[in-house]
Amino acid sequence: MSQFDFLLHGVSGVTPQMAVMWAVGGLLIWLAVKKDFEPSLLLPMGFGAILVNLPYTGVLGDNGIIEWLFNKGIASSEAMPLLLFVGIGAMIDFGPLLSNPRMILFGAAAQFGIFFTISAAVLLGFPLRDAMSIGVIGAADGPTSILVSQVLDSAYKGAVAVAAYSYMALVPLIQPFAIRLVTTKKERSIRMPYQPDSVSKTTKILFPIIVTMIAGLIAPDSVALVGLLMFGNLIRECGRLESLSKAAQGPLANLITIFLGITIAFQMRADVFVRWNTLAVMALGLVAFVFDSVGGVLFAKLLNLFLPEGRKFNPMVGAAGISAFPMSARVIQKMGLKEDNQNHLLMHAIGANVAGQIGSVVAGGIILSLASNFLA
Amino acid sequence: MNYGFLLSDYQGPVGPVNGADVGRSLELMGKGMAGIFVVMLLIFLVIVALNRWTKNKD
Repeated sequence: MSQFDFLLHGVSGVTPQMAVMWAVGGLLIWLAVKKDFEPSLLLPMGFGAILVNLPYTGVLGDNGIIEWLFNKGIASSEAMPLLLFVGIGAMIDFGPLLSNPRMILFGAAAQFGIFFTISAAVLLGFPLRDAMSIGVIGAADGPTSILVSQVLDSAYKGAVAVAAYSYMALVPLIQPFAIRLVTTKKERSIRMPYQPDSVSKTTKILFPIIVTMIAGLIAPDSVALVGLLMFGNLIRECGRLESLSKAAQGPLANLITIFLGITIAFQMRADVFVRWNTLAVMALGLVAFVFDSVGGVLFAKLLNLFLPEGRKFNPMVGAAGISAFPMSARVIQKMGLKEDNQNHLLMHAIGANVAGQIGSVVAGGIILSLASNFLA
Repeated sequence: MNYGFLLSDYQGPVGPVNGADVGRSLELMGKGMAGIFVVMLLIFLVIVALNRWTKNKD
């Protein structure tokens, strides 16, 4: 019988922590397939979580494909999340923001959850380095969260990635709750007529170039994030590179998404993932999303104190300043119609939402810039 | 700068809390939000200027 021990070699290597990770992987796959929650990321991550938690798994180690992909694609260069930004940039139409530029301020205000959560994490006892990584879950932007936690070498990279993508999928549940906490029915019913300015092609082409220069000059660490996002957008808007634009939006983004999800699972190994603190990271991620929304709404209410009737913001639009595009804008439109079936907030919310895309990468870059001072 | 006066060290649910770190996190909040608003305000001004200058060009 001992001659067949090799068949039991793997089975005997299973630990309870591995079994927990199989359940986590199964849950992510279930959320992706059954609930349609960010399936393009949660499904590869879920499968990857199972893959890297098989005993003596061949995908880890010096010759393991997942470890190799992680080391080359994320750890050494952050190439995967950064290249994904080219695709995202090519997908974004900044038109609603350019035609209604005051919405850009909400892209800043709705990053408040990031910094609130950093303080909350420190108060719970997380080291500042990990707290900064956890806070970036509030960027509501998976690639930014992955990149910042990787650069800061957080001990919770896997949990941060899982939280960032999971909560992004839960925006339709989180935001209505957070918005109702800080608004009255009367405020949610404020009408905002949509009278966009026309936007020239020159503006659309110059915008990504100038934004890259501003971000690069003010927050140099944000330039990789902002620059590749805006490079993708320039390809889209220049009008001469339609096939490249389509390639960036489709094949490039899809290919990286497939491998990014399964590669991130490298950080979901039982030995680094299964601990009580992971639950605290997940809880803080929720706090970050709630306070992002609260920050955006309260900023809109603050601006309303100084604006005349007819120019006031519906404060819900402020909450759309998070990066979760286009879910957040849709949530605001739906909530607006629920309070007043003639109140169409979609285009305003989309403007704030694309501003949030810029705000989140700028926030990520600013955190990296500040980290070099605060963690020195 | 010493922020120890903001909060003394204590044992948090996740680990030991350093009072100075709490102060640093608050400083981070102030500087971070200020930084984002500065960048976004500049972008706002750029959009307004671009819209004005290119209004009748295309």
